[in-house]
Order: sequence, then structure tokens, then C-alpha cells
Amino acid sequence: MNKETKTHRLVDRREPNLIEDIFPHDLPPLIRLRGPMVEYIDGKAVEFDFGAVKDRDICITDTTFRDGQQARPPYTIEQMVHIYDLLSRLSGPKGVVRQTEFFLYTKNDRETLDRCRELGHKYPECTGWIRAVKGDFRLVREAGLRETGMLTSCSDYHIFQKLKFRSRKECIDSYCEVVDAAFEAGVRPRCHMEDITRADIDGFVLPFVDRLMEMSRQAPEELSVKIRLCDTMGFGVSYPGAELPRSIPKLIYKLNRECGVPSDRLEWHGHNDFHKVHVNGGTAWLYGCDFVNTTLFGFGERTGNPPLEGAIMEYIALKGGLFGIDTLAITELADYMRSIGLPIPDNYPFAGRAFNTTRAGIHAGGLRQDERIYNIFDTEKLLGRPPRVAITDKSGADGVAHWVNEFFGLKGDDRINKIRVHKLARWVIDQYDQEGRLTAISDQELEAKAKEFFPDYWEKYKAGGK
Amino acid sequence: MATVEERVKEVTAHVLKVSPDEIKMEDSFTEDLGAESVQSIELVAMFEEEFGIEMDEDAALAVQTVGDAVEFIAKVCREQGVDVEQ
Repeated sequence: MNKETKTHRLVDRREPNLIEDIFPHDLPPLIRLRGPMVEYIDGKAVEFDFGAVKDRDICITDTTFRDGQQARPPYTIEQMVHIYDLLSRLSGPKGVVRQTEFFLYTKNDRETLDRCRELGHKYPECTGWIRAVKGDFRLVREAGLRETGMLTSCSDYHIFQKLKFRSRKECIDSYCEVVDAAFEAGVRPRCHMEDITRADIDGFVLPFVDRLMEMSRQAPEELSVKIRLCDTMGFGVSYPGAELPRSIPKLIYKLNRECGVPSDRLEWHGHNDFHKVHVNGGTAWLYGCDFVNTTLFGFGERTGNPPLEGAIMEYIALKGGLFGIDTLAITELADYMRSIGLPIPDNYPFAGRAFNTTRAGIHAGGLRQDERIYNIFDTEKLLGRPPRVAITDKSGADGVAHWVNEFFGLKGDDRINKIRVHKLARWVIDQYDQEGRLTAISDQELEAKAKEFFPDYWEKYKAGGK
Repeated sequence: MATVEERVKEVTAHVLKVSPDEIKMEDSFTEDLGAESVQSIELVAMFEEEFGIEMDEDAALAVQTVGDAVEFIAKVCREQGVDVEQ
């Protein structure tokens, strides 16, 4: 037997231990972290204090109108203003969604920015996005923005293959000219290190960042360069022990501790090409980036960006509270996005039509006994979305009873038990056994049957009642 | 008036589509008579209708055999003041 094995004594109880300090139900499950976390970097054991995230001013930034819009037909001005308004509600007064960025090139771009700012919201702060071209700072200055992102691509794929620089030095000199132009314009530059997870970190990125830090020291503090680490192709990995340039822990360590870029000037921007986008964003927070850049419902170039609403839930889980966040705005945003043609898959977390819908009768039975058994948190309170049951031949009488109770809004002792729904349950079974049906039964069909089988309830709760 | 046993067998035969003569007191509703999940619910609902009683859902669904159902229903009838032929 392995020497490390040990026996474990049963802790017998008569009452359940629901571990409510981690699963409070009126909040998303909390993530409690105990440090230190150790990563070996350049032969040294480096400690990271994950627990400190509770006290750090981590926050979310948004690029729904920039990266998000690159993946779909343009939004109208009205649509963007409405989305911005809802983003502000979601963000709350503490600015958990701290910034959102806008294109500045067309008349519509600038009008959108003006209309959003006219709403008078403090958060999210509007920032710009421009090419690394000196003349573009005129646009930023005219728009009255304090900060703008600018492309400073840093892998040789971009430096040589795309941008056709003759050398890395020529590339850095060019970028630094634009940073200087930003300082002259009184605008804080946010350097978007495109393709950093495929770049030569020691040979290009760190010397470039050293130079940016030196330039920042000569500029007013409020203009100091911010660094956005752009995982353009989704190559970043969170695993301890992974090597550069793909290692998120090592990338952040190098910029944060070796180059001295403070956490409040580091931002992570991910892509989902390898299904890692959300966890990579959370990893960036833990290892020292204060900002995680996101889009609503993860909609962005190709496979998309970290989903903003996922980052919101992660924030709450890490911080242990809502901090003024209005999570109900997530559902309003999802409804609005659907209404203007943005497809959100039914099973998409927190926002899909069926994210908390079960089709299994045995799960419906669990929901009927205690919602917490099969609902991730109080989705009615936080998202305005009570758990639901989709009715198929697998739903059973438990599923049908759950649907009926939810439909009539019955709680506690008023709930109808499954004996009373036997006629509807029989009708459902016959749809499959007798009629050969292969699809789920729609709410409209069930509502018609509910009216037929429960005329008293219909009259009380649907027709003349509530 | 028919006895509780006869009435239980009649309802069971109707819901599960078997002959009343084939039903024995020791038969399990699910294993011997083939009651599926929804049919178990229908049986309870039909027993309530037949006897004019209301049964506790969990207790009623926990009943396994025809004989146990006869005993359970007779007890509920007594508790709820419903006269039945024993």
C-alpha cells in the first residue's frame, strides 16, 4: 500500500451539513483561497498570495463595442446607448465594470460616445481604441477621453509577417513615438500587447515594457502607460509549471515584479479558441492583473472573449459579496441582445433560455423537494430566473408538477402535488408513447393543457387573479 | 357494496389494463403488475376518487403491494370517516 494513504473516519450526523459558508445560495458559490501559491520561475520558487484578491481593487473592463462588435454587424447608436445604460446598472456605484472602449473613427462612433456620456454615468468610464498612429490622438483629444487603447503587437508573427518592420528595434521605436504622442496629447496610453502569448518575452516584450516604464517615469503619473496583455489567439494557459510565452502566471510575474508595472496598470484580454477564456481571466486576476477585459456574453472576434457576466459571477465568488452589482441587469441585457438578433445558445450559463432548466424527472423531483439540490444559486433572486423544467417523456410526474407550480406561481403549502397532475402527466406520456413525438413539449402547449386540466387555478392565477 | 379489496383490484385492473382475476394480494404494483412511474401516480389518484379520500402523497407512493394498498386505504378511510365494506 502507498505510504501516503490514510484512513478517514466517518463523521456521522443526523442533520445535513450544507456547507453554506461556501454555498450561501443567495450568492454564487464563494471561492475561498488560502495561500501561498508557489510557481517556479527561472529556477526560483515565487510565492503568490491569492487570498489578497479579496482586498485588491480588481475589476472588469468591457470591449463589447470594440472586440465584440468586430464579430457581428454594427450596432445602431440607439442599441449601443441602451447597452451602455444597462452596463452601468450592472456595474453598480463602485464601478465593478470600470471601463468600456469605443471606436472613434466615424461620425457614428463619436456620436455614440457623446450620447453614452450624456447619460451621466460614472461607470463604466468611456475610453477609446485607436491604431498605433500618431495622428489618431487628435481624435482622442477631440473626444475628450482620458485614456485610449493602442495596438502594440509584440509577436514576430505580427512585427515581421504582418507589420513588415525590418527589425524589432524599428518596431519598438515606432511604438514609442506613438506613446510620446499620447503623452503630448495628455492622454493615457494603454498599450495592447497583441499576441503576447506567442511572443519572445525575454527578447522583445520585457525590453519594450522596460522602455515604456522609463517613459512613464518622465510623464505625469495619471498618464503612466497601462499594459493590456492580449492573448490574441487564446494560447494562454493557467497551469502552474507551464512555460513562457503561454504561461499566464509567468507573464504577469515578469511584467508586474521584474518590469515593475503595478497591478492597477495591468489588464488581461483573452480569446476562447481553446475553451480557456474564462478561467484564464480569473487566473490573471489571481496572479496580479487588476483588470480583466470582457465582452457581454463572450461575443467577440472568432471564438470570443471572457464573458462579462461570467467575470461578474467570478468577482462575487472571489470577493464574497455583490458590492452594488445589479445582477438582474444580466437578464435584461440577454433579453435585449436576443431582441436585436444576437444569438445566445439556450444552454449558455446565466443567460441562455435553458441555463437552469432540467429535462430529467429525477432532477425535477429534487427541485421539488429543495431548490438548492439542482439550482446553482438563487437564480430567481439574482437573475429573475427561477429554475425550470422542460417537459419531455423523461420529465415524469415530478417534472410536470414542478412546471405546473411554477406556471401558476404556487409556493409552499399552495403547491400542487404530483397526484393532482396525473392527467397532464398522462397526456405528456401519451404524446410520446401513442403519438410518436420526438420533440420537447412547448410552454404554449402545456399552458393550453393547464387551462383544460386546472380550470380553477387558471381562473384564480391567470385569467382574473394575478 | 364491494369490499375494499375488490374495489382496489378493480381500479388496479382498470389503470394497469389487466384482468381483476389475475391480481393477487401479494402482487407488487411495479414488479408483478408492471406499473410505470406515471401509472403509480394514476393509481393513487384513482384510489382517491374511488373512495372519496385524500392520501398523503409520499406515504401512498411508498405502498408496494396490492395487499398493502388495501390495508393503507382502509386505514385512511377510517381516519377520514368514510364507510367501507371490509
